[in-house]
Amino acid sequence: MTAPLLQIDGVTIDYNTKKGNLRALRDISFDVNKGEIVGIVGESGCGKSTLISTILQLLPQNAEWKKGAINFKGKNLIACSEKEMRDMRGKDISVIFQDPMQSLNPVITIGRQMVDIQHRSTSPYAEKWQKSIDMLSMVGIADAETRLKQHPFEFSGGMLQRIAIAMALMSRPDLLIADEPTTALDATLEVEIIKRLKDLHKEMGCSILFISHHLGVIAELCQRVVVMYAGSVVEFGSVDEIFFNPKHPYTRRLIECDPGHIKERAKRLPTIPGEIPDLTEALEGCIFQERCSETIAKCKTAPPPLVSVGQNHQAACWLNHNQEPE
Amino acid sequence: MTLLSVSNLKTSYGKTTVLTGVSFHIDEGETYALVGESGSGKTTLIRAIAGLAPAQDGLILFQGKNIRGLSDRKMRLFRKDISLMFQDPVGSLSPRLTVGGLITEPYRIQGMNNRDLNAEAIRLLEMVGLPADMAGRYPFQLSGGQARRVGVARALALEPKLLLADEPTAGLDVSVQGELLNLLNDLRDQLGLSMLIITHNLNIVRHVSDRMGIMYLGQLVEEGTTEDVFHHSKHPYTRALLSASPKPDPHAKMDRIILQGDPPSLLKRPSGCEFRSRCPFAKDICKEKPEWNETHGHNVRCFIPLS
Amino acid sequence: MSDPITDKETKVKMSDHRQSEFLKIVGGVAKNPLGLIGLIIVGVFVFCALFADWIVPHDPVGMNIKDRLQGPSTTYFLGTDQLGRDTFSRLIMGSQVALKVALPAVFGAMFIGLTLGMIAGYGPRWLDNFLSLIFDTIRSFPTVMFALAVVALVGPSLQTVVFVVMATSIPIYGRVARTQTLALRNSEFILAERSMGASLFRILGIHMMPNIIGVLSVLAAMDIPTVIALEAGLSFLGLGVKPPTPSWGSLLKDGYALIRQTPWLIVAGGLPIIITTLGFTFLGETLRDVVDPRLRKNR
Repeated sequence: MTAPLLQIDGVTIDYNTKKGNLRALRDISFDVNKGEIVGIVGESGCGKSTLISTILQLLPQNAEWKKGAINFKGKNLIACSEKEMRDMRGKDISVIFQDPMQSLNPVITIGRQMVDIQHRSTSPYAEKWQKSIDMLSMVGIADAETRLKQHPFEFSGGMLQRIAIAMALMSRPDLLIADEPTTALDATLEVEIIKRLKDLHKEMGCSILFISHHLGVIAELCQRVVVMYAGSVVEFGSVDEIFFNPKHPYTRRLIECDPGHIKERAKRLPTIPGEIPDLTEALEGCIFQERCSETIAKCKTAPPPLVSVGQNHQAACWLNHNQEPE
Repeated sequence: MTLLSVSNLKTSYGKTTVLTGVSFHIDEGETYALVGESGSGKTTLIRAIAGLAPAQDGLILFQGKNIRGLSDRKMRLFRKDISLMFQDPVGSLSPRLTVGGLITEPYRIQGMNNRDLNAEAIRLLEMVGLPADMAGRYPFQLSGGQARRVGVARALALEPKLLLADEPTAGLDVSVQGELLNLLNDLRDQLGLSMLIITHNLNIVRHVSDRMGIMYLGQLVEEGTTEDVFHHSKHPYTRALLSASPKPDPHAKMDRIILQGDPPSLLKRPSGCEFRSRCPFAKDICKEKPEWNETHGHNVRCFIPLS
Repeated sequence: MSDPITDKETKVKMSDHRQSEFLKIVGGVAKNPLGLIGLIIVGVFVFCALFADWIVPHDPVGMNIKDRLQGPSTTYFLGTDQLGRDTFSRLIMGSQVALKVALPAVFGAMFIGLTLGMIAGYGPRWLDNFLSLIFDTIRSFPTVMFALAVVALVGPSLQTVVFVVMATSIPIYGRVARTQTLALRNSEFILAERSMGASLFRILGIHMMPNIIGVLSVLAAMDIPTVIALEAGLSFLGLGVKPPTPSWGSLLKDGYALIRQTPWLIVAGGLPIIITTLGFTFLGETLRDVVDPRLRKNR
């Protein structure tokens, strides 16, 4: 069996803040195989931004790496020099963001930006221009040649996101990280972007790490899913396992709460009361205990480890341990 | 009893027409959802009703009185009864005021200074399920969910008759959306409130609204009870919207209606039926402008409605 | 869980925390070494200006011909000028003049500029165009020419200097206030206030102004040294305060003529200008850094 493309093993990151040490990532472990689409489901405060910054080794000054390793194509990213990381960013690992304007310069034409990001290639300008046209057509932008001469403000939000995807995939990266790319878009546009990503994925064979709190999109696009809560991985497995056989209370409640899940008009919608715990305080026991309705005594004293609960399915919950044969 | 009646409302911004003649009504105690995507004009519509955006033509009747085109001074009398909640929960709160100050602004603006504003603030915080000590916090210290509730408290401070809510769940985590919607439903029952909610999220519409209308390019294309529209939609755009929401079910059948092309720009509106440039069922007859067909409260603007 | 309505200890804070915010800003400035130096220099300057009458070792205006043009000594720290007056005492007195000009000029300009700028930014287009034209016109006049014109009409005095300096500074604050107002005009919280029926005064006074005054305070702190130097320049040209009132500019003027007899007059005029300019500049820049990230952090 080939080694995974991206291997995250026990990564723990703290931020030094005025209020103390904020544990943003707690013992994160999961992997992404070649050509796979892995979804990360998490709400505000789950640590997904820190996770992306950690993979790209672009953490701010006050971040402290406590332990863990990140292996990408066999290389330990934490041990890489800044130059080595720069060579990988935009080439082997690409990112698209929720706001496409985070990837685009508002005062430069699209064409020039698309040519500029091919700076590593030694091909002549004409070739780079043609490649830009091809990429734009691939993401469904009609009249690509004229469009290249326009500025970002002349495009709609959905089109800008497609351009951002085109730019990210231009170098044929091994891994595309997508941070909530459809959250700000209307439903019909969201659906289109998902379709494009699926088509592009089939054509390019890249791996995608797709982060979103929109369960419907995750269910439709991803093959495997990682569920994160307050900086910890609480469950991960194949998309079928996660949606049809969730083994963590948070995952279960999250699926219940999704309004798309509820077919008939509900008098009262389910919610998960409370907020994420204060991450600057030391934690004893499970990270979800305060908001969980199924806690047992052990939940308050020891943090549950990720254990196997099925084929290709792991969860971090003490309730699953009671089911294990002695 | 009709509380709000909008007739043939038209707004333009310079040469661009945004609303091309919108008509609908809301009865007392009813919740009406306006669904549309970016460019549909729903934000302009809600702002026109609130008196924040000028409308060039048409009528906006609130309890029978026309409020379109009123001066700020005359409109102030209605502002007690019509209140607006904005899309950006933190951004709609004045950054230099405390939560306590913010939720009692309506009293001060309406000159009701003789009340014990302290007590009112505590009462309002309790009404939306926030602790009393939150009154001393500033907007930048609030989470999205908390800021949203402060917005609700402020909007309901003077017990208005009509609440206009612009994307009330935008930016909220899924686990918290339900809380806000439950709160709105409870307050609606408690205060006898009527609500106009605009959103592009069809999933929540089903749980809060009695009736709904679908907007496209500044006009209503379908309208009816929530049940009717969801289960017996007639307009192709409605069908496309309904089928577009990805379901949290990996095995869901995806017989989607995918719309062709991008939404047309407001400067280059298609002739005839404005949806025909993207409609998968467009025929020759669609080059004419379709009329608004009313059938037992389920109305549609289409020559060939689906069954 | 106690009932919040009967819990008397729960006090709802309605007003802004202006006081504690002010202290936080001062604290932030003091933490920065340059800011601390700035605070000290400005502190000394203000102290001298306020208590000049009591702390001068000798009478700064009384003539004392027999002691004229002496060098520095234990009696006269910086020596005496051509009329026997203690240079050091005149230096300290000069700070009072500087403050008497700088404070009303700068704060007057700031409040007038703030008001006009907010009106320009929030009001109708034609008003904005009109006010912007006025701002640009005033700024295009060289200050000294403008001062000459005013003096020719009114005659030189402290009030003239204050007026000239204030008038030429108004556009600086006006333009910044206008830009800030334009930026905030369409923000959601202003729309929210309008939707509740807030009056124009309420919107500008309670919701716009506090967000603009921070930036303007930084400008003011950086403007004060300019104003002091301006006053000195006008006094040097004989357009400022009338003798025998000592101002740093007039010290420079006298010192320029007497440079062979005693160089200390120039020192007494120039050195305080340099030091206070540095002090206010350090203060202003540190203030800007302290105020800015707070605004940015508030996201």
